[in-house]
Amino acid sequence: MKESSVPAAQVVGRYRVIPIIQEQAMANISTAKATPAIQHEVGLPGALVADWHDKAISRLGTLLKERRGLQVFMDSCTKCGACTDKCHYFLGTGDPLNMPVARQDLLRSVYRRHFTFAGKWFPKLVGARELDKPMLEDWYRYFHQCSECRRCTVFCPKGIDTSEVTMAGRDILASIGIGQQYSQEIIAKVNRVGNNLGMKKPALIDVLDNLAEDISDDTGLAIRIPLDDASADMLIVTPSADFFAEPHVDGLIGMIKVLHVAGIRYTFSSQASEAANFALFTGQRDQMQGIAQRISTAAQALGVSRIVMGECGHAWRVAYSFMDTLVGGFDYLDPEHPRPEHICELTYELLKAGRIQLDPTRNDGKVVTFHDSCNVARGSGMGGIRRGQFIVPRALLKASVPEIIEMSSDATMQKTFCCGGGGGLLTDDLMELRIKGALPRAQALQAVVDSHGVTHLVAICAICKTQLSQVLPHHNLGDVQVTSLHELVGNAIIL
Amino acid sequence: MFDLALALSYSLALVWLVGGCAYRVGIWLKARNSLPIPLTPAPRTRSGVVMRLCLELFAFRSLARADKTTWLASLLFHYGLLWLAIVHLRFVFTSLPTFLIPFIQYSGWATLCVIVGLSVLLLRRLLVDRVRYVSAPSDYLHLMLLISIAVSGALLKRVWPVNLFEVGEFLRGVFRVSWVPLPDHAGLVVHLLLVLVLLLVFPISKLLHGVGVIVSPTFNQRDRG
Ligand code: SF4
Ligand code: SF4
Repeated sequence: MKESSVPAAQVVGRYRVIPIIQEQAMANISTAKATPAIQHEVGLPGALVADWHDKAISRLGTLLKERRGLQVFMDSCTKCGACTDKCHYFLGTGDPLNMPVARQDLLRSVYRRHFTFAGKWFPKLVGARELDKPMLEDWYRYFHQCSECRRCTVFCPKGIDTSEVTMAGRDILASIGIGQQYSQEIIAKVNRVGNNLGMKKPALIDVLDNLAEDISDDTGLAIRIPLDDASADMLIVTPSADFFAEPHVDGLIGMIKVLHVAGIRYTFSSQASEAANFALFTGQRDQMQGIAQRISTAAQALGVSRIVMGECGHAWRVAYSFMDTLVGGFDYLDPEHPRPEHICELTYELLKAGRIQLDPTRNDGKVVTFHDSCNVARGSGMGGIRRGQFIVPRALLKASVPEIIEMSSDATMQKTFCCGGGGGLLTDDLMELRIKGALPRAQALQAVVDSHGVTHLVAICAICKTQLSQVLPHHNLGDVQVTSLHELVGNAIIL
Repeated sequence: MFDLALALSYSLALVWLVGGCAYRVGIWLKARNSLPIPLTPAPRTRSGVVMRLCLELFAFRSLARADKTTWLASLLFHYGLLWLAIVHLRFVFTSLPTFLIPFIQYSGWATLCVIVGLSVLLLRRLLVDRVRYVSAPSDYLHLMLLISIAVSGALLKRVWPVNLFEVGEFLRGVFRVSWVPLPDHAGLVVHLLLVLVLLLVFPISKLLHGVGVIVSPTFNQRDRG
């Protein structure tokens, strides 16, 4: 019997090797299913519906028509195996169902059974399977062991995006009554209150006032952090973790210093006090639309001409790649800045224009390395230049710290490894998965700690920051500080 | 009688092949592209996208990133197959066009590439535990079918020759829908039957993946930011 939880500070592994497959290795890991109350709140059935099989197949049929990628991916995989050793969850667990192609096959085998000639007539021959209860359980389990990071896509000769399959799988499951408690609860809260934490406006005012006071005490500047200020030009939308969690809040402080020094009239919004959009993870396009719309509505209500997103990976993907389509355009924005911008783009622009100055010696003694976040690296861009999502944050780092060390090239930029907690998996009940899934990142980090004495791991994603600070100690890397990029910028900025 | 049946099946199989592929690709294209999902960094221009697709189609770029052995084996197999497909154009013409002569000269090497490439892919499927885990019977059968086509073809060329002009007459008959008898040659019949199976399987299997590369939104969409 294997252990279901990993004891604190256990060293899980050191060297990046391809594991021998170990069937069922993670079969006992399953995240909590949504309660009926939460399911109902997000407009879904409270428990598994009676005709779940037919409903699931018909939902799959609908999704196949609505998502060309999904339809093509179902047909074009040749089982070449190129992706099999590319997923951090497979590398960390050895469970074969965590190989990207095997994960897709959970859905593909059912697709073949119901939507292809060969699968209808020769199911055994082509590996087609009926959707039965055990299969349903495998769907739930293994579609919640994928962080939708798209690393596998980088290596797939057909361009197959496993995250599209995972999202479709989760959407189908939620639609027949088995959503994931963690993500659905967050979606319910963001709809109800405006942010994932369920923090109401008075609480938000408190937090921002306290923060302003802290920064003022620290710097001697008179800092005020505006909320719902209709005279502002720019709406700032950060992940709500930035308001209180460590190390996130230090990044927020850095951002505020940048905005203050540049003299920008910005505001936060109580209605859109959350950058995150967990409906991306659950595959629910209607919810994703609604959550994105909230930002657009707030921006229009406040009459701002620019929207700037804080350090949040998947929020950036939604803002950069999807929001335009989801909310129907941005004609209300400044034509010079016609789409939501990333805080790194803004800071970089200010730096280049000489509106802020950075002094790297203020971060003396820190040896930093940069963790590219999946949704930024493989799902969006930055700065309007090719590979900008790699160039811009590194340029900011270079201006802010004396020494940057890159991790190995198969663990950075487009090939970056997920932190292990993305895609709606950042929940306590998946801790074992999260620790094991962080193995490749930990190995890459360990290498630069050994070779160059790296002290800080820098990220621009709230999920990455939370996940890495929680799991690195389990890989004996607790001494490495997980840090927001804008914390270092904030240290370096000349006030 | 058997000749006629085979010729008729070939004619029908060609219709099935073209119709079947068009039907499948039609399903792909009919599906809506609701949200843009290019794998970034993605090209920012249309010509950049064409470049990306060409790299994937002709150099198997992503596969090269993933695993060099599989990449090399796939290149050997696919380019060998392309070469041999060109060689088979000889059966379309009544007299041999000169441009085909170099292709025919080196067809032996091409066959070798195909057989070696396919064998490596088959061995990998059998020996690597991860690939074995995701393989269905059809995955092995596809490879074995292709290997037997290549081997039977090589035998026809080198060991057990057949009158090529008569084969050409037969195949031209298939295209013109005016069927003529086959040369009396059991090896040829085996080769033709195997190819017939390939034609039948092609549109309803993963063998259509080449078109899938072009239609995949992760490859063919631009970065519009
Ligand atoms: S790399 Fe792509 S085509 Fe190959 S097995 Fe994986 S998903 Fe299928
Ligand atoms: S998207 Fe990421 S987590 Fe999901 S299968 Fe691919 S590599 Fe693994």
